[in-house]
Amino acid sequence: MAQDVKKLQGRTNHLITWRFIKNRLMTVFAFSTILVMLCILISVLITLFINGLSGLSFFTLTHMTAPQGLPGGLLNPILGSMIQVGIAIIIAVPTGILGGIFLAECSNKKLSTIIRFIADIMMSVPSILIGLFVYILLVMTMGYSALAGSVALALLALPVIARTTEEALNMVPSAIHEAGFALGAPKWKVILFICLPAAKGGIITGILLSISRMAGETAPLLFTSLGNSDWSWNILKPMASLPLTIYQYADSADDTWIKLAWTAALLITFFVLCLNLIARIYVDRHRKKD
Amino acid sequence: MTDNQVAISIQKVDFYYGAYHALRNINFDINAKKVTAMIGPSGCGKSTLLRMLNRMYDLYPNQYAKGNILFDDVNILDKDIDLNILRSRIGMVFQKPTPFSMSIYENIAFGIKLYERPSSARIQEKIETALRQVALWDEVKDRLHRSALGLSGGQQQRLCIARALAVEPEVLLLDEPTSALDPISTAKIEELLDILKEKYTIVLVTHNLQQAARCADNVAFFYSGGLIEVNDAATLFTKPAQAKTHDYITGRFG
Repeated sequence: MAQDVKKLQGRTNHLITWRFIKNRLMTVFAFSTILVMLCILISVLITLFINGLSGLSFFTLTHMTAPQGLPGGLLNPILGSMIQVGIAIIIAVPTGILGGIFLAECSNKKLSTIIRFIADIMMSVPSILIGLFVYILLVMTMGYSALAGSVALALLALPVIARTTEEALNMVPSAIHEAGFALGAPKWKVILFICLPAAKGGIITGILLSISRMAGETAPLLFTSLGNSDWSWNILKPMASLPLTIYQYADSADDTWIKLAWTAALLITFFVLCLNLIARIYVDRHRKKD
Repeated sequence: MTDNQVAISIQKVDFYYGAYHALRNINFDINAKKVTAMIGPSGCGKSTLLRMLNRMYDLYPNQYAKGNILFDDVNILDKDIDLNILRSRIGMVFQKPTPFSMSIYENIAFGIKLYERPSSARIQEKIETALRQVALWDEVKDRLHRSALGLSGGQQQRLCIARALAVEPEVLLLDEPTSALDPISTAKIEELLDILKEKYTIVLVTHNLQQAARCADNVAFFYSGGLIEVNDAATLFTKPAQAKTHDYITGRFG
Protein backbone atom coordinates (compact mmCIF):
# COMPACT_ATOMS: atom_id res chain seq x y z
CA MET A 1 0.00 0.00 0.00
CA ALA A 2 2.67 2.50 1.06
CA GLN A 3 4.65 1.46 -1.96
CA ASP A 4 1.72 2.38 -4.22
CA VAL A 5 1.35 5.84 -2.74
CA LYS A 6 5.02 6.52 -3.23
CA LYS A 7 4.84 5.35 -6.81
CA LEU A 8 1.86 7.63 -7.44
CA GLN A 9 3.63 10.63 -5.92
CA GLY A 10 6.81 9.83 -7.72
CA ARG A 11 5.02 10.12 -11.02
CA THR A 12 6.08 13.66 -12.00
CA ASN A 13 6.76 13.84 -15.69
CA HIS A 14 6.74 17.01 -17.77
CA LEU A 15 2.98 16.70 -18.43
CA ILE A 16 2.15 16.95 -14.78
CA THR A 17 4.57 19.83 -14.25
CA TRP A 18 3.02 21.71 -17.18
CA ARG A 19 -0.45 21.11 -15.78
CA PHE A 20 0.71 22.50 -12.45
CA ILE A 21 2.06 25.64 -14.14
CA LYS A 22 -1.17 26.09 -16.16
CA ASN A 23 -3.19 25.78 -13.00
CA ARG A 24 -1.10 28.48 -11.29
CA LEU A 25 -1.29 30.77 -14.33
CA MET A 26 -5.08 30.56 -14.51
CA THR A 27 -5.41 31.25 -10.80
CA VAL A 28 -3.19 34.32 -11.05
CA PHE A 29 -5.07 35.51 -14.14
CA ALA A 30 -8.51 35.08 -12.55
CA PHE A 31 -7.34 36.72 -9.35
CA SER A 32 -5.83 39.74 -11.09
CA THR A 33 -8.92 40.40 -13.22
CA ILE A 34 -11.12 40.36 -10.13
CA LEU A 35 -8.60 42.69 -8.46
CA VAL A 36 -8.84 45.18 -11.34
CA MET A 37 -12.66 45.14 -11.14
CA LEU A 38 -12.61 45.60 -7.38
CA CYS A 39 -10.14 48.49 -7.64
CA ILE A 40 -12.42 50.30 -10.08
CA LEU A 41 -15.48 49.75 -7.88
CA ILE A 42 -13.68 50.81 -4.73
CA SER A 43 -12.22 53.92 -6.33
CA VAL A 44 -15.70 54.92 -7.52
CA LEU A 45 -17.07 54.43 -4.03
CA ILE A 46 -14.18 56.30 -2.37
CA THR A 47 -14.48 59.27 -4.74
CA LEU A 48 -18.20 59.29 -4.11
CA PHE A 49 -17.70 59.29 -0.35
CA ILE A 50 -14.99 61.96 -0.34
CA ASN A 51 -16.99 64.32 -2.52
CA GLY A 52 -20.48 63.49 -1.35
CA LEU A 53 -20.13 63.01 2.37
CA SER A 54 -19.33 66.66 3.13
CA GLY A 55 -22.66 67.74 1.66
CA LEU A 56 -24.61 65.11 3.55
CA SER A 57 -26.14 67.00 6.44
CA PHE A 58 -29.43 67.43 8.19
CA PHE A 59 -29.82 70.69 6.30
CA THR A 60 -29.43 68.97 2.93
CA LEU A 61 -32.00 66.34 3.78
CA THR A 62 -34.59 68.79 5.07
CA HIS A 63 -34.39 71.68 2.60
CA MET A 64 -35.60 72.18 -0.91
CA THR A 65 -33.30 72.85 -3.82
CA ALA A 66 -32.59 76.57 -4.11
CA PRO A 67 -31.61 78.93 -6.91
CA GLN A 68 -27.93 79.38 -7.57
CA GLY A 69 -26.15 81.26 -4.81
CA LEU A 70 -28.67 80.45 -2.11
CA PRO A 71 -28.22 77.56 0.34
CA GLY A 72 -30.29 74.63 -0.85
CA GLY A 73 -30.88 70.98 -0.02
CA LEU A 74 -32.13 67.87 -1.73
CA LEU A 75 -35.48 67.32 -0.05
CA ASN A 76 -37.65 67.64 -3.14
CA PRO A 77 -35.51 65.35 -5.34
CA ILE A 78 -35.46 62.75 -2.55
CA LEU A 79 -39.22 62.87 -2.08
CA GLY A 80 -39.75 63.02 -5.84
CA SER A 81 -37.64 59.93 -6.42
CA MET A 82 -39.47 58.08 -3.68
CA ILE A 83 -42.90 59.00 -5.05
CA GLN A 84 -42.07 58.23 -8.68
CA VAL A 85 -40.36 54.95 -7.89
CA GLY A 86 -43.22 54.13 -5.52
CA ILE A 87 -45.85 54.64 -8.22
CA ALA A 88 -43.73 52.68 -10.66
CA ILE A 89 -43.62 49.80 -8.16
CA ILE A 90 -47.39 49.91 -7.77
CA ILE A 91 -47.76 49.67 -11.55
CA ALA A 92 -44.97 47.20 -12.34
CA VAL A 93 -45.07 44.67 -9.50
CA PRO A 94 -48.64 43.31 -9.91
CA THR A 95 -48.50 43.40 -13.72
CA GLY A 96 -45.02 41.90 -13.73
CA ILE A 97 -45.95 39.07 -11.39
CA LEU A 98 -49.14 38.31 -13.31
CA GLY A 99 -47.17 38.36 -16.56
CA GLY A 100 -44.61 36.01 -15.07
CA ILE A 101 -47.35 33.64 -13.96
CA PHE A 102 -48.75 33.69 -17.47
CA LEU A 103 -45.36 32.94 -18.98
CA ALA A 104 -44.71 30.06 -16.60
CA GLU A 105 -48.15 28.47 -16.42
CA CYS A 106 -49.93 29.29 -19.67
CA SER A 107 -50.56 26.19 -21.73
CA ASN A 108 -50.53 28.14 -25.00
CA LYS A 109 -46.84 27.67 -25.78
CA LYS A 110 -46.87 29.76 -28.95
CA LEU A 111 -48.33 32.81 -27.24
CA SER A 112 -46.01 32.58 -24.25
CA THR A 113 -42.97 32.22 -26.52
CA ILE A 114 -43.93 35.41 -28.34
CA ILE A 115 -44.49 37.31 -25.10
CA ARG A 116 -41.22 36.02 -23.63
CA PHE A 117 -39.41 37.23 -26.74
CA ILE A 118 -41.01 40.67 -26.45
CA ALA A 119 -40.12 40.88 -22.76
CA ASP A 120 -36.50 40.02 -23.55
CA ILE A 121 -36.37 42.74 -26.19
CA MET A 122 -37.89 45.25 -23.78
CA MET A 123 -35.17 44.43 -21.28
CA SER A 124 -32.41 45.23 -23.73
CA VAL A 125 -33.98 48.39 -25.19
CA PRO A 126 -31.95 51.49 -24.16
CA SER A 127 -33.81 53.23 -21.38
CA ILE A 128 -33.84 56.53 -23.29
CA LEU A 129 -36.06 54.87 -25.90
CA ILE A 130 -38.54 53.96 -23.18
CA GLY A 131 -38.47 57.62 -22.17
CA LEU A 132 -39.18 58.69 -25.75
CA PHE A 133 -41.98 56.17 -26.03
CA VAL A 134 -43.70 57.52 -22.93
CA TYR A 135 -43.03 61.06 -24.16
CA ILE A 136 -45.06 60.31 -27.29
CA LEU A 137 -47.66 58.30 -25.42
CA LEU A 138 -48.32 60.55 -22.42
CA VAL A 139 -46.30 63.76 -22.44
CA MET A 140 -47.45 64.93 -25.85
CA THR A 141 -51.06 64.68 -24.72
CA MET A 142 -50.90 65.46 -20.99
CA GLY A 143 -47.65 67.40 -20.63
CA TYR A 144 -44.66 66.63 -18.45
CA SER A 145 -45.67 64.86 -15.26
CA ALA A 146 -44.36 62.67 -12.46
CA LEU A 147 -46.90 60.06 -13.51
CA ALA A 148 -45.36 59.86 -16.99
CA GLY A 149 -41.98 59.37 -15.30
CA SER A 150 -43.40 56.57 -13.19
CA VAL A 151 -44.88 54.88 -16.24
CA ALA A 152 -41.49 55.02 -17.96
CA LEU A 153 -39.79 53.51 -14.91
CA ALA A 154 -42.50 50.86 -14.63
CA LEU A 155 -41.98 49.89 -18.29
CA LEU A 156 -38.31 49.33 -17.48
CA ALA A 157 -39.06 47.17 -14.45
CA LEU A 158 -41.99 45.24 -15.91
CA PRO A 159 -40.09 42.77 -18.13
CA VAL A 160 -37.46 42.20 -15.43
CA ILE A 161 -40.10 41.32 -12.83
CA ALA A 162 -42.05 39.18 -15.30
CA ARG A 163 -39.00 37.16 -16.33
CA THR A 164 -37.66 36.67 -12.79
CA THR A 165 -41.13 35.60 -11.64
CA GLU A 166 -41.31 33.13 -14.51
CA GLU A 167 -37.89 31.73 -13.71
CA ALA A 168 -38.68 31.45 -10.01
CA LEU A 169 -41.94 29.62 -10.81
CA ASN A 170 -40.16 27.25 -13.18
CA MET A 171 -37.75 26.41 -10.35
CA VAL A 172 -40.64 25.05 -8.28
CA PRO A 173 -40.33 21.25 -8.61
CA SER A 174 -43.03 19.75 -10.80
CA ALA A 175 -43.80 17.28 -8.01
CA ILE A 176 -44.93 20.18 -5.76
CA HIS A 177 -47.07 21.44 -8.61
CA GLU A 178 -48.58 17.98 -9.13
CA ALA A 179 -49.09 17.51 -5.39
CA GLY A 180 -51.32 20.57 -5.38
CA PHE A 181 -53.42 19.22 -8.23
CA ALA A 182 -53.48 15.77 -6.61
CA LEU A 183 -55.42 17.24 -3.67
CA GLY A 184 -58.10 18.36 -6.09
CA ALA A 185 -57.15 22.02 -6.03
CA PRO A 186 -58.11 24.15 -9.03
CA LYS A 187 -55.28 25.62 -11.10
CA TRP A 188 -55.51 29.17 -9.75
CA LYS A 189 -55.26 27.93 -6.17
CA VAL A 190 -52.29 25.74 -6.99
CA ILE A 191 -50.49 28.68 -8.58
CA LEU A 192 -51.49 31.30 -6.01
CA PHE A 193 -51.17 29.35 -2.76
CA ILE A 194 -48.59 26.68 -3.56
CA CYS A 195 -46.32 27.75 -6.42
CA LEU A 196 -46.06 31.48 -5.62
CA PRO A 197 -45.09 30.94 -1.95
CA ALA A 198 -42.54 28.36 -3.05
CA ALA A 199 -41.12 30.85 -5.55
CA LYS A 200 -41.32 33.83 -3.15
CA GLY A 201 -37.57 34.18 -2.66
CA GLY A 202 -36.77 34.54 -6.35
CA ILE A 203 -39.68 36.88 -7.02
CA ILE A 204 -38.83 39.26 -4.17
CA THR A 205 -35.18 39.34 -5.23
CA GLY A 206 -36.25 40.25 -8.76
CA ILE A 207 -38.48 43.05 -7.45
CA LEU A 208 -35.76 44.49 -5.20
CA LEU A 209 -33.20 44.45 -8.00
CA SER A 210 -35.60 46.13 -10.41
CA ILE A 211 -36.35 48.82 -7.78
CA SER A 212 -32.67 49.56 -7.41
CA ARG A 213 -32.40 49.85 -11.16
CA MET A 214 -35.36 52.26 -11.31
CA ALA A 215 -33.91 54.43 -8.55
CA GLY A 216 -30.83 55.21 -10.61
CA GLU A 217 -32.39 55.73 -14.03
CA THR A 218 -32.06 59.20 -15.54
CA ALA A 219 -32.80 58.86 -19.21
CA PRO A 220 -36.46 57.77 -18.97
CA LEU A 221 -37.21 60.67 -16.63
CA LEU A 222 -35.59 63.27 -18.84
CA PHE A 223 -38.49 63.51 -21.28
CA THR A 224 -41.24 62.59 -18.87
CA SER A 225 -41.11 64.05 -15.36
CA LEU A 226 -38.70 66.77 -16.50
CA GLY A 227 -37.51 67.78 -13.04
CA ASN A 228 -38.72 70.56 -10.83
CA SER A 229 -36.75 72.96 -8.67
CA ASP A 230 -39.81 73.45 -6.48
CA TRP A 231 -41.99 71.00 -4.71
CA SER A 232 -45.49 69.92 -5.60
CA TRP A 233 -47.50 66.93 -4.53
CA ASN A 234 -49.30 66.89 -7.85
CA ILE A 235 -48.21 63.82 -9.78
CA LEU A 236 -49.67 65.31 -12.95
CA LYS A 237 -47.08 68.09 -12.80
CA PRO A 238 -43.30 67.87 -13.33
CA MET A 239 -41.46 66.53 -10.33
CA ALA A 240 -37.85 66.56 -9.16
CA SER A 241 -35.83 63.38 -8.73
CA LEU A 242 -32.33 62.52 -7.61
CA PRO A 243 -30.96 61.30 -10.98
CA LEU A 244 -32.26 64.39 -12.78
CA THR A 245 -30.80 66.65 -10.09
CA ILE A 246 -27.42 65.01 -10.55
CA TYR A 247 -27.70 65.44 -14.30
CA GLN A 248 -28.56 69.10 -13.93
CA TYR A 249 -26.22 70.05 -11.05
CA ALA A 250 -23.14 68.15 -12.13
CA ASP A 251 -23.06 70.18 -15.31
CA SER A 252 -23.30 73.59 -13.63
CA ALA A 253 -20.50 76.00 -12.79
CA ASP A 254 -21.65 76.46 -9.20
CA ASP A 255 -19.44 74.64 -6.69
CA THR A 256 -22.23 74.12 -4.15
CA TRP A 257 -24.43 72.60 -6.85
CA ILE A 258 -21.67 70.26 -7.92
CA LYS A 259 -21.23 69.27 -4.30
CA LEU A 260 -24.97 68.60 -3.99
CA ALA A 261 -24.81 66.44 -7.14
CA TRP A 262 -22.14 64.32 -5.43
CA THR A 263 -24.31 64.05 -2.35
CA ALA A 264 -27.30 63.00 -4.44
CA ALA A 265 -25.16 60.39 -6.17
CA LEU A 266 -24.02 59.11 -2.79
CA LEU A 267 -27.62 58.86 -1.61
CA ILE A 268 -28.69 56.82 -4.64
CA THR A 269 -25.66 54.55 -4.38
CA PHE A 270 -26.28 54.01 -0.69
CA PHE A 271 -29.95 53.19 -1.35
CA VAL A 272 -29.13 50.77 -4.16
CA LEU A 273 -26.43 49.13 -2.06
CA CYS A 274 -28.90 48.64 0.80
CA LEU A 275 -31.51 47.10 -1.52
CA ASN A 276 -28.94 44.72 -2.99
CA LEU A 277 -27.83 43.72 0.48
CA ILE A 278 -31.41 43.09 1.56
CA ALA A 279 -31.99 40.99 -1.56
CA ARG A 280 -28.83 39.01 -0.89
CA ILE A 281 -29.65 38.42 2.79
CA TYR A 282 -33.21 37.46 1.91
CA VAL A 283 -32.09 34.92 -0.69
CA ASP A 284 -29.56 33.40 1.70
CA ARG A 285 -32.08 33.06 4.48
CA HIS A 286 -34.63 31.57 2.11
CA ARG A 287 -32.13 29.03 0.82
CA LYS A 288 -31.26 27.97 4.35
CA LYS A 289 -34.90 27.36 5.16
CA ASP A 290 -35.26 25.07 2.18
CA MET B 1 -67.90 -5.70 3.68
CA THR B 2 -67.65 -8.31 0.99
CA ASP B 3 -64.20 -9.66 0.49
CA ASN B 4 -63.55 -8.73 -3.09
CA GLN B 5 -65.52 -5.62 -3.84
CA VAL B 6 -64.12 -3.86 -6.90
CA ALA B 7 -63.16 -0.22 -6.37
CA ILE B 8 -61.63 0.54 -9.74
CA SER B 9 -62.04 -1.47 -12.90
CA ILE B 10 -59.43 -0.98 -15.60
CA GLN B 11 -60.71 -2.06 -19.00
CA LYS B 12 -58.78 -2.20 -22.28
CA VAL B 13 -56.58 0.71 -21.39
CA ASP B 14 -53.85 2.09 -23.65
CA PHE B 15 -51.60 5.04 -22.95
CA TYR B 16 -49.44 7.19 -25.20
CA TYR B 17 -46.67 9.71 -24.56
CA GLY B 18 -46.97 11.41 -27.92
CA ALA B 19 -46.18 8.67 -30.41
CA TYR B 20 -44.75 6.33 -27.78
CA HIS B 21 -47.17 3.58 -26.86
CA ALA B 22 -46.47 3.19 -23.14
CA LEU B 23 -49.28 0.87 -22.01
CA ARG B 24 -51.03 -1.77 -24.09
CA ASN B 25 -54.44 -3.24 -23.46
CA ILE B 26 -54.43 -3.30 -19.66
CA ASN B 27 -57.33 -5.08 -17.94
CA PHE B 28 -57.67 -5.66 -14.24
CA ASP B 29 -59.69 -4.80 -11.17
CA ILE B 30 -58.46 -3.05 -8.06
CA ASN B 31 -60.21 -4.34 -4.97
CA ALA B 32 -61.71 -2.00 -2.41
CA LYS B 33 -60.00 -1.68 0.96
CA LYS B 34 -57.03 -3.75 -0.09
CA VAL B 35 -53.47 -2.87 -0.90
CA THR B 36 -52.74 -3.48 -4.56
CA ALA B 37 -49.07 -3.31 -5.49
CA MET B 38 -47.85 -2.68 -9.01
CA ILE B 39 -44.37 -3.99 -9.66
CA GLY B 40 -42.07 -4.32 -12.64
CA PRO B 41 -38.77 -3.02 -14.00
CA SER B 42 -38.21 0.71 -14.64
CA GLY B 43 -40.13 1.98 -17.64
CA CYS B 44 -42.65 -0.88 -17.60
CA GLY B 45 -45.61 1.51 -17.24
CA LYS B 46 -46.65 0.95 -13.64
CA SER B 47 -46.27 4.62 -12.65
CA THR B 48 -47.99 5.61 -15.87
CA LEU B 49 -51.00 3.52 -14.94
CA LEU B 50 -51.02 5.00 -11.43
CA ARG B 51 -51.00 8.50 -12.87
CA MET B 52 -53.96 7.58 -15.06
CA LEU B 53 -56.08 6.79 -12.04
CA ASN B 54 -56.20 10.45 -10.97
CA ARG B 55 -55.69 11.82 -14.48
CA MET B 56 -52.38 13.44 -13.47
CA TYR B 57 -51.23 13.04 -17.06
CA ASP B 58 -53.80 15.67 -18.03
CA LEU B 59 -51.37 18.37 -16.86
CA TYR B 60 -49.14 17.59 -19.79
CA PRO B 61 -49.96 18.06 -23.44
CA ASN B 62 -49.27 15.15 -25.82
CA GLN B 63 -50.12 12.51 -23.23
CA TYR B 64 -53.36 10.69 -23.81
CA ALA B 65 -55.21 7.54 -22.89
CA LYS B 66 -57.70 5.17 -24.49
CA GLY B 67 -60.07 2.69 -22.90
CA ASN B 68 -62.19 2.77 -19.77
CA ILE B 69 -61.35 3.08 -16.11
CA LEU B 70 -64.52 2.67 -14.08
CA PHE B 71 -64.64 4.22 -10.64
CA ASP B 72 -68.02 4.34 -8.97
CA ASP B 73 -69.55 3.29 -12.34
CA VAL B 74 -68.14 6.37 -14.05
CA ASN B 75 -65.47 6.26 -16.72
CA ILE B 76 -62.81 8.54 -15.28
CA LEU B 77 -61.05 8.78 -18.62
CA ASP B 78 -64.08 10.65 -19.95
CA LYS B 79 -62.93 14.12 -20.97
CA ASP B 80 -65.94 15.83 -19.41
CA ILE B 81 -65.21 14.61 -15.93
CA ASP B 82 -64.44 17.18 -13.18
CA LEU B 83 -60.80 16.49 -12.46
CA ASN B 84 -60.70 18.42 -9.19
CA ILE B 85 -63.51 16.35 -7.70
CA LEU B 86 -61.96 13.15 -9.06
CA ARG B 87 -58.63 14.02 -7.45
CA SER B 88 -60.29 14.85 -4.15
CA ARG B 89 -61.72 11.31 -4.15
CA ILE B 90 -58.54 9.63 -5.36
CA GLY B 91 -55.59 11.06 -3.44
CA MET B 92 -51.94 10.70 -4.32
CA VAL B 93 -48.58 10.62 -2.54
CA PHE B 94 -45.37 11.04 -4.52
CA GLN B 95 -41.96 9.48 -4.59
CA LYS B 96 -40.23 12.47 -3.06
CA PRO B 97 -41.97 14.23 -0.16
CA THR B 98 -43.81 17.28 -1.47
CA PRO B 99 -44.50 19.57 1.49
CA PHE B 100 -45.78 23.00 0.43
CA SER B 101 -43.71 25.92 1.68
CA MET B 102 -46.13 26.82 4.44
CA SER B 103 -46.66 25.66 8.02
CA ILE B 104 -47.50 22.07 8.92
CA TYR B 105 -50.97 23.25 9.93
CA GLU B 106 -51.58 25.07 6.64
CA ASN B 107 -50.29 22.15 4.60
CA ILE B 108 -53.20 20.05 5.82
CA ALA B 109 -55.73 22.87 6.14
CA PHE B 110 -55.17 23.74 2.46
CA GLY B 111 -56.69 20.47 1.31
CA ILE B 112 -59.51 20.53 3.88
CA LYS B 113 -60.60 24.03 2.89
CA LEU B 114 -60.85 23.14 -0.79
CA TYR B 115 -64.18 21.38 -0.46
CA GLU B 116 -65.72 22.63 2.74
CA ARG B 117 -65.73 25.64 5.01
CA PRO B 118 -65.53 24.17 8.48
CA SER B 119 -65.07 26.19 11.66
CA SER B 120 -61.49 26.63 12.79
CA ALA B 121 -62.12 24.29 15.72
CA ARG B 122 -63.31 21.63 13.29
CA ILE B 123 -60.25 22.17 11.07
CA GLN B 124 -58.01 21.81 14.10
CA GLU B 125 -59.80 18.56 14.92
CA LYS B 126 -59.43 17.21 11.39
CA ILE B 127 -55.76 18.10 11.31
CA GLU B 128 -55.21 16.27 14.56
CA THR B 129 -57.06 13.20 13.25
CA ALA B 130 -55.07 13.18 10.03
CA LEU B 131 -51.75 13.57 11.85
CA ARG B 132 -52.68 10.85 14.35
CA GLN B 133 -53.57 8.52 11.47
CA VAL B 134 -50.01 8.75 10.21
CA ALA B 135 -48.51 8.66 13.73
CA LEU B 136 -47.06 12.13 13.31
CA TRP B 137 -49.15 14.01 15.87
CA ASP B 138 -46.90 13.45 18.87
CA GLU B 139 -43.85 14.50 16.89
CA VAL B 140 -45.26 17.77 15.55
CA LYS B 141 -48.06 18.88 17.88
CA ASP B 142 -45.84 21.57 19.45
CA ARG B 143 -44.74 23.05 16.14
CA LEU B 144 -47.85 22.95 13.97
CA HIS B 145 -47.32 26.53 12.92
CA ARG B 146 -43.71 26.12 11.89
CA SER B 147 -42.63 25.50 8.32
CA ALA B 148 -43.20 21.98 7.04
CA LEU B 149 -39.87 22.22 5.24
CA GLY B 150 -38.11 21.84 8.59
CA LEU B 151 -39.34 18.25 9.06
CA SER B 152 -37.19 15.23 8.25
CA GLY B 153 -37.77 13.37 5.00
CA GLY B 154 -39.75 10.59 6.68
CA GLN B 155 -41.86 13.08 8.61
CA GLN B 156 -42.47 15.10 5.45
CA GLN B 157 -43.69 11.98 3.66
CA ARG B 158 -46.06 11.10 6.50
CA LEU B 159 -47.27 14.71 6.45
CA CYS B 160 -48.00 14.30 2.74
CA ILE B 161 -50.01 11.14 3.47
CA ALA B 162 -51.87 12.99 6.24
CA ARG B 163 -52.55 15.85 3.85
CA ALA B 164 -53.97 13.44 1.28
CA LEU B 165 -56.10 11.69 3.94
CA ALA B 166 -57.50 14.97 5.32
CA VAL B 167 -59.34 15.50 2.04
CA GLU B 168 -61.15 12.21 2.85
CA PRO B 169 -60.50 10.33 -0.37
CA GLU B 170 -61.68 6.79 -1.02
CA VAL B 171 -58.57 5.70 -2.85
CA LEU B 172 -54.95 6.49 -2.06
CA LEU B 173 -52.34 6.24 -4.81
CA LEU B 174 -48.76 5.84 -3.61
CA ASP B 175 -45.99 6.29 -6.16
CA GLU B 176 -42.89 4.64 -4.66
CA PRO B 177 -43.59 6.44 -1.38
CA THR B 178 -40.58 5.08 0.48
CA SER B 179 -37.87 5.06 -2.17
CA ALA B 180 -36.41 8.35 -0.88
CA LEU B 181 -36.62 7.35 2.79
CA ASP B 182 -34.41 5.61 5.33
CA PRO B 183 -35.32 2.08 6.56
CA ILE B 184 -36.94 3.25 9.81
CA SER B 185 -39.20 5.76 8.08
CA THR B 186 -39.97 3.09 5.48
CA ALA B 187 -41.02 0.64 8.21
CA LYS B 188 -43.28 3.30 9.75
CA ILE B 189 -45.02 3.93 6.46
CA GLU B 190 -45.44 0.22 5.78
CA GLU B 191 -47.05 -0.26 9.20
CA LEU B 192 -49.29 2.63 8.34
CA LEU B 193 -50.51 0.95 5.15
CA ASP B 194 -51.80 -1.99 7.18
CA ILE B 195 -53.96 0.33 9.26
CA LEU B 196 -55.04 2.55 6.39
CA LYS B 197 -56.37 -0.30 4.25
CA GLU B 198 -59.22 -0.76 6.72
CA LYS B 199 -60.62 2.53 5.47
CA TYR B 200 -59.03 3.18 2.10
CA THR B 201 -58.32 1.40 -1.16
CA ILE B 202 -54.58 1.64 -1.64
CA VAL B 203 -52.65 1.35 -4.88
CA LEU B 204 -48.91 1.15 -4.38
CA VAL B 205 -46.20 1.39 -7.02
CA THR B 206 -42.94 0.00 -5.70
CA HIS B 207 -39.54 -1.15 -6.86
CA ASN B 208 -39.06 -3.03 -3.66
CA LEU B 209 -40.34 -6.60 -4.03
CA GLN B 210 -40.03 -7.27 -0.29
CA GLN B 211 -42.23 -4.25 0.29
CA ALA B 212 -44.81 -5.57 -2.14
CA ALA B 213 -44.69 -8.97 -0.44
CA ARG B 214 -44.99 -7.42 3.03
CA CYS B 215 -47.71 -4.89 2.37
CA ALA B 216 -49.81 -5.94 -0.59
CA ASP B 217 -52.88 -8.14 -0.78
CA ASN B 218 -52.79 -8.21 -4.55
CA VAL B 219 -49.85 -7.74 -6.86
CA ALA B 220 -49.82 -6.79 -10.54
CA PHE B 221 -46.65 -7.41 -12.53
CA PHE B 222 -45.96 -5.17 -15.52
CA TYR B 223 -43.38 -5.66 -18.17
CA SER B 224 -42.65 -3.41 -21.14
CA GLY B 225 -46.05 -1.73 -21.24
CA GLY B 226 -48.10 -4.84 -20.68
CA LEU B 227 -49.74 -6.43 -17.65
CA ILE B 228 -48.16 -9.88 -17.35
CA GLU B 229 -49.86 -11.25 -14.29
CA VAL B 230 -52.11 -10.16 -11.46
CA ASN B 231 -52.86 -12.28 -8.46
CA ASP B 232 -52.95 -12.29 -4.68
CA ALA B 233 -49.51 -11.57 -3.25
CA ALA B 234 -48.88 -15.05 -1.80
CA THR B 235 -49.66 -16.83 -5.06
CA LEU B 236 -47.79 -14.40 -7.28
CA PHE B 237 -44.63 -14.56 -5.21
CA THR B 238 -44.64 -18.31 -4.54
CA LYS B 239 -46.32 -19.83 -7.57
CA PRO B 240 -46.17 -17.32 -10.42
CA ALA B 241 -48.14 -18.45 -13.46
CA GLN B 242 -45.92 -16.74 -16.01
CA ALA B 243 -42.27 -17.46 -16.70
CA LYS B 244 -41.55 -13.68 -16.91
CA THR B 245 -42.96 -13.09 -13.44
CA HIS B 246 -40.88 -15.94 -12.13
CA ASP B 247 -37.72 -14.50 -13.71
CA TYR B 248 -38.42 -11.05 -12.31
CA ILE B 249 -39.18 -12.04 -8.74
CA THR B 250 -36.18 -14.36 -8.62
CA GLY B 251 -34.00 -11.47 -9.77
CA ARG B 252 -33.01 -12.68 -13.22
CA PHE B 253 -33.69 -9.27 -14.71
CA GLY B 254 -34.99 -5.83 -13.76
